[in-house]
Amino acid sequence: MSDGPAVTEEELRRLCDFLYRRTGLVYTEAKRYYVERRVFDRMTATEVTSFANYFARLRSDAEGEIEHFVNAFTVNETYFYREDHQLRSLTADLLPDRVRDREADRAIRIWSVPCSTGEEPYSIAIWLLENWPMVDQYEIEIVGSDIDTGALEKARSGFFGKRALMRLSPYLVEKYFLPAGFETWKILDDLRDSVRFSQVNIVEPAETRPHGQFDVIFCRNVLIYFDDASRRVAAENLYENLMPGGYICLGHTESMSRITPLFDVRRYANAIVYQRTAGNAYG
Amino acid sequence: MPLIRKPTPSNATPAPDPASVLRALANGTDDERWAAARAAPAVPGGVDALGGALATERNARVREAIFTALSRIGTARSVEWVLPWLRSDDASLRTGALDALRRMTTGVVPQLPQLLHDPDADVRLLACELARNLPSEDATRLLCGLLESEREPNVCAAAVEVLAEVGGREALPILERCAARFRGTAFLEFSIRITADRIRAQSSQPRE
Repeated sequence: MSDGPAVTEEELRRLCDFLYRRTGLVYTEAKRYYVERRVFDRMTATEVTSFANYFARLRSDAEGEIEHFVNAFTVNETYFYREDHQLRSLTADLLPDRVRDREADRAIRIWSVPCSTGEEPYSIAIWLLENWPMVDQYEIEIVGSDIDTGALEKARSGFFGKRALMRLSPYLVEKYFLPAGFETWKILDDLRDSVRFSQVNIVEPAETRPHGQFDVIFCRNVLIYFDDASRRVAAENLYENLMPGGYICLGHTESMSRITPLFDVRRYANAIVYQRTAGNAYG
Repeated sequence: MPLIRKPTPSNATPAPDPASVLRALANGTDDERWAAARAAPAVPGGVDALGGALATERNARVREAIFTALSRIGTARSVEWVLPWLRSDDASLRTGALDALRRMTTGVVPQLPQLLHDPDADVRLLACELARNLPSEDATRLLCGLLESEREPNVCAAAVEVLAEVGGREALPILERCAARFRGTAFLEFSIRITADRIRAQSSQPRE
């Protein structure tokens, strides 16, 4: 199929309005080529021949089309130090706040959910060891959870390819990994053994609750895929899993304010995050 | 290394005791009522307990949890409990109810024709938003039915705004008639013009 006749200006506006309301992703005429290419790819994949029919299919979420469509717009790759501005905020803003007035014997708890194949929780561990001067003063527990047991198995194995390590300096790769074959590295056992992995479905309170409460939760690029009802349940579960005053970091295209008023927005130099505030109307 | 690992917790949590959930929902502390509201969908009689609790609950967080729980249940009965709050004078309750109903499209559909012709203009206006999640033909038919007789320009504007996203070509003559009836109401004329342009521009030609 060729690219065919372009999507009209008004059709593009309708589509972009829909995309914004559904996901918070903002696209305009300026990104026409980018949007069109993805629409045409999905039309080809679904064998739909007119934009009007495709848009109807999308709106009705036939055969999970919304998820496929959003997938086409988001980068699903996971790699070490992805969105590292949030890691900077973790050590510059969030943890200093969390340890203020805290007894030294109370562990700091950080949850990476979903953690996919482990790059995020291991990144958090490396980042803390490298960048937080107070790292030796506290016990730090990092938990990585995902619904996908295959991904968790890979995470536990600790093997990573070249693409996963592309954002790490040679110094960090040498310090925390061992070569393990052609363009493959294995994370050091000490580091691997310091992260706990578990299976969880974040819309199931019976599965999230046993994980207990955390100081900081990284929950990036997953809420965007849920329908409104599931998103609300997931947000309430995450609220329950945060200690009062704890923080949650979402993906850069996501906004908790669009889902629930439970959290307060906190704007730091490096990141916008959400806080479970004890004293607000929802505390 | 300061990083520590604790044993994996068991995912087995005991099922909530129905009687204690319902008791906590009615008489617990804020935290207990919040937890009870979240547990209630799994409890027999939960939907009525949740619906009844809406009338007395003052804590915003617990109220949100009740709305979420009712929309999780998503039955006609939960819709019945939520609908009256569309008329609330409290904006947060009204918005909570609207958001909950939006998440229960299937249960709301049978109520929509009546809501779109409710004597209260505020209810008609909010009902327009509920039509947004319907298939295009259904939303167009319902909203056009409203536009043909609606006297309140703000309600028309709400319907027109939804039609801009979901409306089909059959809405065009109705939009024209609506614009004629409200000639001189600049914001509505403008809104109708934009919406009609969008609908007309929909390509119906298949791509090569």
